Amino acid sequence: MTISSEELQAKIKKLFEEGTIDHFIGYEAGSDSLHTTPCFLKNGEQVSRLVWNPLCPYNLSKYLLDFREGEGRTGILVKGCDARSVVELLKQNQITRDEVFIVGIPCTGQVDPDKLLEVTGASPAEITGIKDEGDAFSVTVKGKTQKIDKQKLLRDKCMVCRYPTPPLYDTLLGEAVDSLPWVTDDYALVKEQESLSSEEKAAHWNNEFSQCIRCYACRNICPVCICKECIFDKKMPRWVTKSTALPENMVYHLIRAFHVAGRCVDCGECERACPMNIPLRSLNKKVEKDVLDLFDYTSGVDVDQPAPLTTYQTSDLEEFL
Amino acid sequence: MKDTKEAKTEFEPKILAFCCNWCAYAGADLAGVSRFQMPTNIRVIRVMCSGRVPPELVIRALANGLDGVMILGCHPGECHYSEGNYVTRRRAHVLKRLLEYIGLEPERFQLRWVSASEGARFAAVVKEAAEKITALGPNRLVNGK
Repeated sequence: MTISSEELQAKIKKLFEEGTIDHFIGYEAGSDSLHTTPCFLKNGEQVSRLVWNPLCPYNLSKYLLDFREGEGRTGILVKGCDARSVVELLKQNQITRDEVFIVGIPCTGQVDPDKLLEVTGASPAEITGIKDEGDAFSVTVKGKTQKIDKQKLLRDKCMVCRYPTPPLYDTLLGEAVDSLPWVTDDYALVKEQESLSSEEKAAHWNNEFSQCIRCYACRNICPVCICKECIFDKKMPRWVTKSTALPENMVYHLIRAFHVAGRCVDCGECERACPMNIPLRSLNKKVEKDVLDLFDYTSGVDVDQPAPLTTYQTSDLEEFL
Repeated sequence: MKDTKEAKTEFEPKILAFCCNWCAYAGADLAGVSRFQMPTNIRVIRVMCSGRVPPELVIRALANGLDGVMILGCHPGECHYSEGNYVTRRRAHVLKRLLEYIGLEPERFQLRWVSASEGARFAAVVKEAAEKITALGPNRLVNGK
């Protein structure tokens, strides 16, 4: 069972008092009852702002990059997926292990506000409370509390989550969760796509890519997109033009999928941030599946394991020839 | 439908071949001086190592309208820089699957090993690629449809 906001606040207050952390990154209540927002604390007196509920999908680990020049130790609240991206940042020497204090929290799924509104048929203002009850979410709509099956409300990424408990943490709040009961086949979506013919795949992706407005939200929010100078911002050579023509969009998405190959932890932030609802997780999940099949590698689990595309073995699969 | 079939027989694909300086490019040279018959669809770009060909170049080439892209390098274990082609091999396996996932025919992207002494093999590899890609027709990723 996950912990309450009060327990989280007490724990963080204690960490501040002990001098373990100098800053803390967590979640606080957002502008409406369906959203939380990232929260940055500088001392223990502010901990009452912190919340923890099933509406905290955001991956906070990218904020660690903003804090790396600062003084002191940064505490960060991470779910399983977020912790994996912290591992990736460590692996790429973007942050120093000593300067980060990882507060892990076992996560039993995050609610998708869109699905919630659809299932309850209510407006955001009418929904006042959402609680994780283990096998279901209890949702309070217009003062009435009802239990709703988790699988109806979960975010897509949570439906295929293999790491509900952070693989790396300094302190863990609540009890570790080994696996989630609804996760059966991580790659069902990818396999379905793979089974289509080339024509069907091309039609599908041409349709999706042509909707892209190239706002770069997926890149900006990605916790493993850490280049100071991104290839898409370069003028010489210019890899993609500013036009949103289909070939340019295709180049953008393919190169991005390849750049996060073997590093993507499927935190789902790209798809959440996308204003055009392009199924970006499908692309990344495909690469993730191939890297697992080909090189037996899972990203964000072991800090000491070398990245799959920077190393090789003479016995690697040889399909060409 | 008959019209498109007629158009296909006249179709001459443009194929880009990244050849490694030490093996494949020398192999291409040998194929030339040995006067092996080869299709003229191939455009060669010499690179110092097949490991120097990043996926960005392949993706950019396909999006710019090339009908096929080949990376030609030394046989595994024979790289001039010891390990360049091993890294390429890993990348190419991932890239090929990604390109297939968005609807590219597998024949359009190929990695082949050709050593400096294999002029005949270079000619055969190029011929095979040209035939397969001619049969596929124009690259549909850029032409929409």
